[in-house]
Amino acid sequence: MAHADEAALFNKDESKVDWHDKALWFVRQKRDKSAHKVKGWETLRDLASAIKANVMSNLDNYLVQFEENAQKNGVTVHWAADAEEHNKIVHSILQQTNVKKVVKSKSMLTEECHLNPYLEANGIEVVDTDLGERIVQLAKEVPSHIVLPAIHKTKEEVDVLFQKHLGTKPSNGDPQYLTNEARKHLRDKFLKADAAITGVNFAVADTGGIVVCTNEGNADMGAHLAKVHIACMGMEKLIPQEKHLGIFLRLLARSATGQPITTYSSHFNKPAPGTEMHIVIVDNGRTEQLNREDFRASLHCIRCGACMNTCPIYRRSGGHSYKATIPGPIGSILSPGKDLTKHSDLPFASTLCGSCSDVCPVKINIHEQLYKWRQVIVKDVPQPVVKKTVLKIAGRVLANSKMYGFAGKSARFILKHAPRFVTYSKFNAWGEARDLPEVKDDNFDTWYKKRQKHE
Amino acid sequence: MSRASILNAVKKNKPDLLPLPEIDLDVFSENIDLVKTFIGNVEFVGGRAIQLGSVENIDSEIKNLYPNATKIVSCTRDSNLGTISISKNTNPHGLETIDLAIVKGELAVAENGAVWISENDLTIRVLPFITNDLILIVNKEDIHLHMHSAYKAISKRDRTFGLFLSGPSKTADIEQCLVIGAQGAISLTVLIV
Ligand code: SF4
Repeated sequence: MAHADEAALFNKDESKVDWHDKALWFVRQKRDKSAHKVKGWETLRDLASAIKANVMSNLDNYLVQFEENAQKNGVTVHWAADAEEHNKIVHSILQQTNVKKVVKSKSMLTEECHLNPYLEANGIEVVDTDLGERIVQLAKEVPSHIVLPAIHKTKEEVDVLFQKHLGTKPSNGDPQYLTNEARKHLRDKFLKADAAITGVNFAVADTGGIVVCTNEGNADMGAHLAKVHIACMGMEKLIPQEKHLGIFLRLLARSATGQPITTYSSHFNKPAPGTEMHIVIVDNGRTEQLNREDFRASLHCIRCGACMNTCPIYRRSGGHSYKATIPGPIGSILSPGKDLTKHSDLPFASTLCGSCSDVCPVKINIHEQLYKWRQVIVKDVPQPVVKKTVLKIAGRVLANSKMYGFAGKSARFILKHAPRFVTYSKFNAWGEARDLPEVKDDNFDTWYKKRQKHE
Repeated sequence: MSRASILNAVKKNKPDLLPLPEIDLDVFSENIDLVKTFIGNVEFVGGRAIQLGSVENIDSEIKNLYPNATKIVSCTRDSNLGTISISKNTNPHGLETIDLAIVKGELAVAENGAVWISENDLTIRVLPFITNDLILIVNKEDIHLHMHSAYKAISKRDRTFGLFLSGPSKTADIEQCLVIGAQGAISLTVLIV
């Protein structure tokens, strides 16, 4: 199903959509408050952007340097060209160390590689230990947001889910009670696990160390109790020097949730005595993206989620509507690089208002890349697909006044002007509100309606 | 293994070398009360920070704050309240029933309420996560303005494991309601001496 159809499904429950919209906008406001408190915030963003650009231009050397230093520290480094090789490597480490039970902390990479089903098919129990991820795992779903995986679920839904799987008492969705029960449930899993899998937020070339950031403490509970720690990372996670962490850690949590830093920023350099540590470096399409001059900067992403929280389309269509591991604006510029035909509608799931680029802590020109993907798609994807896509967008998103308030822009207009459509001249209204300051208490619909009146 | 092919592809596809930027720390300097800012930020992230007159007051303060704690691990000479002693050889799983851990932090960061602790201060890595409640002690001279300064201070360390810890463990994964006490310690008190 295309994004627009999925969004329409999500929009069936109006009160839920309104809640989703407001909850994420609230997170966006917390980000603003937090960022405005930091002296030199814009300098931090500039530095982060320049450091990442340097990393991409010297990535092979940094990777080799990182590997050498990690090996000196007693860490085993593995290389995976794609998702399949990644999964095989992880499985073979688990086999060699005779592991049957695994606890896993948040890692969008292992989601991207579909590691869980692979391991489960091989008879290994994998428990996601981030509360939000555990919720979606029990619901047999995937995360709908990279920082807030269960943002699409109501507390009542979590209540029912926990009754069924954890044997909790009905509580009308009491978050304190449910979190407590999850804590007990996960404690037991941590204590029984033979191996822990974590993601990597930053890998430092000049020390060979990795940094993992969580608020719950789940990555550390797993990694320090199990005999084997496997950290899986996309190759773009490299940064040159440890001192650069000062810049990235100042940006990450503030952009993500408005916290000044995550509760735990754990620096793993050497395995603890008697334990094993492995790092799996994964390509899976990243070298190809590196080759695309216009889209290369998408690899700078530090996965803070700010572009999702601020995106009017994301907030009112939900993460699942994107049908991609990374949803939202950043996902819409990463996914077409993986499968252009499958994801050809995603660059159109945007108003090109530019709010994503404005909040991005590493200053990725997200909305410009969305626009560039549209050009590529109109040119390269077979016409029926484009027509269908544009029609879908037009029919479902633009012409559905209830969803987005674009009434009056007929589908015919869009089709006739398909190549011009991508030049977003008609939608410059969105571009005017750079930082969207005046939207604060409005939801997307009312804001747009107000603007229309002014036209 | 795909190492060679990945590295070759990167070499082929990467853009021309771009320089690493110079970092001018003056941009971030501020003349603020470090202790006050630090205390404010610890509270902001859900913890509690208390400034004590002297090291001698530590134990009475802790007894006051955690009167019911019986299984206590102290990793610092600043406190004599430890009831369970641990060593490098202690099985980390055995720490599951610990009520309270007392750890000396090496430095703290005013801008975010974080305290840096490393394996040397912990004896067992899992301690500050698995304990029910956590006390960190820091010297007020060791509070840094920002992360840049903190990283400079720890740059010469023996790198094994270490972390910046800011506040108690928490989650907002159920409808964005903040709940303190997720998988790690359910409370954090920082004592500044
Ligand atoms: S693209 Fe930027 S704003 Fe979006 S998740 Fe990545 S770093 Fe955050």
